[in-house]
Order: sequence, then structure tokens, then C-alpha cells
Amino acid sequence: MSETSKFTEDILAVAKEKARQIVEQAEQERQRILEDANSSISREENEIIRNAQTEAEGIKRREISEVRHQAKLLEQSEKDKILSSVLDGVKARLRESTSDQNAHFAYLTRLAVDGIRQLGMDNVNIHLTSEDLKRIDSTQFAHEISKLTSPIMLEIAKEPIEASGGLIVASKDDKIRIVNTFDQRFEALEPRMLIQAGRILFSEK
Amino acid sequence: MSGLETVKIIVDAEKEASKMLNDAQVKALEIRKQVDPMIGAEREKRLSKARKEAESLVQRAEAEGKAEAARIKEDSMEKTKRDLQKAFSARLAAEKALFEIIMG
Repeated sequence: MSETSKFTEDILAVAKEKARQIVEQAEQERQRILEDANSSISREENEIIRNAQTEAEGIKRREISEVRHQAKLLEQSEKDKILSSVLDGVKARLRESTSDQNAHFAYLTRLAVDGIRQLGMDNVNIHLTSEDLKRIDSTQFAHEISKLTSPIMLEIAKEPIEASGGLIVASKDDKIRIVNTFDQRFEALEPRMLIQAGRILFSEK
Repeated sequence: MSGLETVKIIVDAEKEASKMLNDAQVKALEIRKQVDPMIGAEREKRLSKARKEAESLVQRAEAEGKAEAARIKEDSMEKTKRDLQKAFSARLAAEKALFEIIMG
């Protein structure tokens, strides 16, 4: 081979090698960019799925929470209805209890005696409802009360009280009063009654 | 071979070498130009698939949530019904007990 041929072959071999390197470098660069892009796309995909999972869990939770809330409200409303009907029933029983004259007389006597003891005074007025004023013999009532208390001055007030039953024991000047009406007892005892009613009506046992 | 001929051969070889390098540069440029559209297409394809999957995931959760809610509602109605029947039958006993509290 001549010197010239060898020289030109060298030129071409160097150029060929350089060209190969240029293409190879471009391909390597492409490969690296594609790998980076692949990672970036994977991150975006994961984020889309993760967001959807969060949204899906939220949707599921909301559906369930809403229905539980509605069910609880319905249950509570139905329980309230039963409780109200029981309290109405108690009020009716209280009204009916006044029709048994003897039992009612004894009950009022006991309420009056309790009131007098709580008041701790020896001169008192007793206020009754208009129905009780009509059907109760004031003298006999005062006599029965006196038998159960220490000697005191006792008067049955002529003016009736507005109540569904029971009575009020008051100091002579009416400034201090022990209210033992059904309505007051009902109000005062309501928390205890509600607990008791809850136990009887809705206890799990 | 004359000196002139030798120079011509070398110049031709240089030209050929230059063309090789030029072709390689063109090819490298072509390779780089293909990258962005390739990534764009791949990204669009994969993200579109992920969005569809996400949509179906949410729809599935909605359906599952509704089904579970319906089950809970039914169970709860059943329990409430039982509790209320029990409470209803204990009504008179409760009335009596509360009446006794009032009467002291």
C-alpha cells in the first residue's frame, strides 16, 4: 500500500470513528432523557392514582358517615316519640290518681307534711288547686296534717293555684313557698325520670 | 503518481471524511429532535391511562360506598325497629316507674 493510500485511509478511519461517537453520544443522551422522563411520568401517574385513592376514600367515608348520621337522627326521633308518649302517660296517670279520693287525700296530706317540715315554720298557708278546694274538706285536711306535724297554725288558702295537682305550702306572708305541685315535681324530677325511662325503655339488656 | 494526483486523492479523502462527520451530526440532531415528541406521546398515553384508572377508582368507591351505606341503613333500620318494639312493650312499665318517682 502506498503512503498516500495509508494516509487517506487513516483520515477516513478517524472520521468514521468520530462520526460513530457523535451518533453514540446522541443516542446515550436520548436514552438518559427518556429515563428521566420515564421517572417523571411515573411520579405523575402515581400522584394521579394517589389523589384518586384519597378522593375515593373520602367519598366512601362521606356516604357511610351520612347514612349513619341519618340513621342516628331517625332512631333518636323515634325514641323521643316513645319517651314523650311515656311522659304524657305519666301526666295522665297523675290526673287519674286524683279520682281515687282516699288515696289522693293521703297523698296531698303527705305533700303538705313534707312541705311544712321543709319550711320549718309554725304558721303556714296551704294552697290547693280549684278541684281540690272543691272536693276536700278543709277542716278534715288541716286536722289530718296536724296529726303528723308538731303543733302549728295552719290555714287552707281560699284562692286556688294554677296547677294540674299537688299543693303549695307557704309562710303566712306568702314570701317563702315550698312548691309541691305535680308540675313542679315533674320539672324537678325530670332528669331522674329521663334516666330511669332510658334504662327501662332502651337498655341493651 | 504525480504530486497533483496525490493532493487530489487527499483532498477527496478529506471531503469524504467531512461528509461522514456532517452526516453523523445530522443523524445526531435527528435523534435529539425525536426525543421531545416521543416523550410527549408517551406521557400523554400513560397519564391518560392513569386518569381513566383514577376515574374508575372513584366510581368504584362511589358504588362501594353506596352499597355499604345501603347495608348500614338496612341493618340500622332493623336494629332501630327491634329497639323500638322492645321500648314500646316496656312503655307501661316505664310509665309506672316514673309515676312512682313523682309520687315519691
